Amino acid sequence: MILDDLKLDGRVAVITGAGRGLGRAMSIKFAQAGADIVAASRTRTQLEETAAEVGKTGRKCVIAPTDVTSSEQVNALAATAVRELGRIDILVNNAGGGDDSLGKPIEQITDAEWRRGLDTNLTSQFYAARAVIPQMVRQNRGKIINIASGYGLRGGKHNYMYACSKGGVLQLTRSLALTYAQYNIQTNCIVPGIFPHNEEMMRFFKGGKFIPIGRPGDDAELGPLAVFLAADLSNHINGEIIAIDGGGLAGGVTPTGVVPVLPAEPR
Amino acid sequence: MPSDGIANDFSLEGRGALVVGAESVVGRAAAVALSEAGAKLLIASQEPGTDAKLKEVAKAVQAAGEKPILQVQNSAVRADLSATADLAAKQLGRLDILINAFDAPWYGPAETADDTAYERVMDSNLKRVWASCQEGGRVMVRQGSGVIVNVISVLADRGVPNASLYCMAKAGVLNLTRALALEWARKGVRVNALETGWLEEPASPTNADEDFKKTLLKYLPSNRLVKPEEIGGALLYLVSPAAGFVTGEAIIVDGGLMCRV
Repeated sequence: MILDDLKLDGRVAVITGAGRGLGRAMSIKFAQAGADIVAASRTRTQLEETAAEVGKTGRKCVIAPTDVTSSEQVNALAATAVRELGRIDILVNNAGGGDDSLGKPIEQITDAEWRRGLDTNLTSQFYAARAVIPQMVRQNRGKIINIASGYGLRGGKHNYMYACSKGGVLQLTRSLALTYAQYNIQTNCIVPGIFPHNEEMMRFFKGGKFIPIGRPGDDAELGPLAVFLAADLSNHINGEIIAIDGGGLAGGVTPTGVVPVLPAEPR
Repeated sequence: MPSDGIANDFSLEGRGALVVGAESVVGRAAAVALSEAGAKLLIASQEPGTDAKLKEVAKAVQAAGEKPILQVQNSAVRADLSATADLAAKQLGRLDILINAFDAPWYGPAETADDTAYERVMDSNLKRVWASCQEGGRVMVRQGSGVIVNVISVLADRGVPNASLYCMAKAGVLNLTRALALEWARKGVRVNALETGWLEEPASPTNADEDFKKTLLKYLPSNRLVKPEEIGGALLYLVSPAAGFVTGEAIIVDGGLMCRV
């Protein structure tokens, strides 16, 4: 049955940035699909909350406080997963985000801000892929899911580090996909649109008025796509960049949600 | 069973689905996948005179789920597409899902392709998809909900020698998908595409040329062709309630081929 090929029973998923937001939502959905979770992020208290949520599903959740910009800590994360749960079937590279450099004129961005941003969003994904791939090659099975952003495909005003790092994530995805296809490791990338995590973000994005579908995404909507890309049902999808953005990237030539820019009367 | 949580997200139980071009290799795979996931189906043909083929697909659909409704039609005729969309809505209760699995292969040098070839390739690969989207979309906009998936090929995104007309038509469908997605985004209708890599099928050029086959297989990251049933997963995701925030998107099922230089 096709729906059975979505199940992740017996699989082990390492998820970074699992302490909150999309990472926590994905951890819960992966557990609901049957996977045991290794939840990584910097803040132990947040991981404990994620673990409590995962625990309700009856699956295991190993918490692993990790600074993903440190290759030693990322290597230790992979070692923890293998030691505690015996294998690594899935890596979700979710940690990352914007920083204070966003919105600053270019001449005010410091070297340290640029490097820290790239380390957090891009180098972290490289470190984690490098850390899990030997185990996945030994298993002759693996799924890597990298989380990027629409800014990986389009530019943004005063948006350098974020756009460049997320663009790099797409390329990391493609090269991993090509290289490890022969080891039955599929690497894919999710491009989430706007998923506000709080009221302030919701106000900033004007309640999703500029999103074609007319609303922003909900954290719970990302999980099923990630599970699909982690499950056997997607075994021949590799190196693919999938947008879940309410139609945002399909357009972009006219502003959405202001007025119908093109006349509704045929001519 | 904890893992049933995910099956519920993707289940098509109670949904009405119309597959146009069900006699084609991908149409059949699409119909079977939707049936397995619980949808009720109307399977319609791309060409007339395909009764036997359609009956054979109906058997496979029934084996996977419920017995489908059959409609042999000529998709070149607008009135046929319109009547089929209405029939699907009536017989299935609702038209929740429309799959356009149109395909008419064409290969040949551009400098000798005549206008007849142009008309034929554009009509069967592009114009009919447009008409089917219009007719199905009309029903869905009225309902205030629905999802359309146009099954196309990676040639919508990339060029290949001796396939100019085909590449042009498939690219047309891809951008039609985006435009309709935006137009209907606030009317509850999602429109997406699914691009397949080189398919394992009777019409595959790998069956005609052993050298081409050898070279191609070496070039493919997975060293094999795409099995038609492998489109089922992406198709199911796109039409499922789990993809409510996905529109104007194309998912590629090619084993990684599009990553190559």
